[in-house]
Amino acid sequence: MSKRIVIDPITRIEGHLRIDCEVDGGKVVNAWSSGQMWRGIELIVKDRDPREVWLFTQRFCGV
Amino acid sequence: MKDGFEGLPDLSGGPGERLLARGVSRRDFLKVCTGIAAAMGLPLGMGAQIAEAVTNPKRPPVIWLSAQECTGCTESLLRTNHPTLEKLILELISLDYHETLNAGAGKQCEEALKKSMQENKGKYILVVDGSIPVKDGGIYCKIGGKTVLSLLEEQGSQAAAVIAIGSCSSWGGMPSAYPNPTGATPVHAIFKEKGIKTPVVNIPGCPPNGYNFLSTVLYLLTFKKLPQLDEEGRPKFAYGRLIHDNCERRPHFDAGRFALEFGDDGHRKGYCLYKLGCKGPETYNNCPTLLYNDAGSQAWPVGTGHPCFGCSENKVGFNIPLHTPAVLKDVTPPVNFPGIVEDKGKGVTVAGAAIAAGVAGAAIGVAAATSKNLGKKDKDKGKSDPESKES
Ligand code: SF4
Ligand code: SF4
Repeated sequence: MSKRIVIDPITRIEGHLRIDCEVDGGKVVNAWSSGQMWRGIELIVKDRDPREVWLFTQRFCGV
Repeated sequence: MKDGFEGLPDLSGGPGERLLARGVSRRDFLKVCTGIAAAMGLPLGMGAQIAEAVTNPKRPPVIWLSAQECTGCTESLLRTNHPTLEKLILELISLDYHETLNAGAGKQCEEALKKSMQENKGKYILVVDGSIPVKDGGIYCKIGGKTVLSLLEEQGSQAAAVIAIGSCSSWGGMPSAYPNPTGATPVHAIFKEKGIKTPVVNIPGCPPNGYNFLSTVLYLLTFKKLPQLDEEGRPKFAYGRLIHDNCERRPHFDAGRFALEFGDDGHRKGYCLYKLGCKGPETYNNCPTLLYNDAGSQAWPVGTGHPCFGCSENKVGFNIPLHTPAVLKDVTPPVNFPGIVEDKGKGVTVAGAAIAAGVAGAAIGVAAATSKNLGKKDKDKGKSDPESKES
């Protein structure tokens, strides 16, 4: 019988990370990582003047 | 009588001692407090009062909620060159919950949050960085399986005050740029809609200056109330003036000397960046006077040769294209100046002379009228002014 462990939030990193682990008999048999935040920067920069796109993409991550 | 700060609170006990242990001297600490009092426009003696209040052994609890953010706001507080800023912040407050800085993860840190909220109900300061997505039920940002929208409601309604740090939480910032795919919304707008009465201070900037945040925190701790705010909810001590009014390139603007392209002659000479789209004329902030990272003079965007993009101004940064000229809020210099070229032996051009004469004539006229009025006033005043009668 497998068990699922969820670690959310993962701290000491930038952003909102979540880890799901499936554990069976003391062993990790499957694992997923997922970002829990989305701003749609791909859509924000679409059709924009390329000269100002850096302003937006630069803010993917401020670390 | 060693450091010249006698009579001011000593740092023994509580956070003061911890600061000393971390290499922040009493002198440094008081210097910062006095500097901050001055920056907030408070009388000098207030520095001591701030120092007294913040070295209180009971540190105020702070819960930090991260929504749609890039962590730039947190980084700007931690990665300063100045040795005291992040130490001051981290030692003077009890940071009970911060996703990026908590040691424990998952359940552990969620429990720390729950505990602090229960113990300090109505007393903690909630700091929010990042905008709140409201589209599709708020699914675009979740922590521990809950939407930040619901977390903000829960944590915000029980806080003593909320500090919205950064443009994202102050007015939506970058995530709210067209077409705002996730319905990114600022904190104050959520509170208004949900009827949450907790006061909100906005510290916009992308990221904002760490000292504006620190000053606001110290003000809250010392006076137990919010500093004076402008109509955008920003502290007036920091956002009271236009960038343009304190910019070191302003003389170039007034004289009509502009950089027209990056790397052109004017740009190399440090001319005004208005024509490259500088938003200084419509953006309120203290960047040119406070500067960034204690890196010396010119350590701010315009100082490095890039136009201000208006990050701290709602509907300007990320909204008006980067290189579109700003809307001027105050004096506009004349578009045409009289074209007087005083070539030796040729005299002035006819048109130029005519304009100059017109202007001078008008000026003389005004001066004459003014002195006439003044003279009249003086005379009238002489009649009724007891002092002048005596003399
Ligand atoms: S305001 Fe700017 S620096 Fe702060 S979280 Fe938002 S994008 Fe990052
Ligand atoms: S337009 Fe920009 S660069 Fe020019 S004086 Fe104003 S703030 Fe400075």
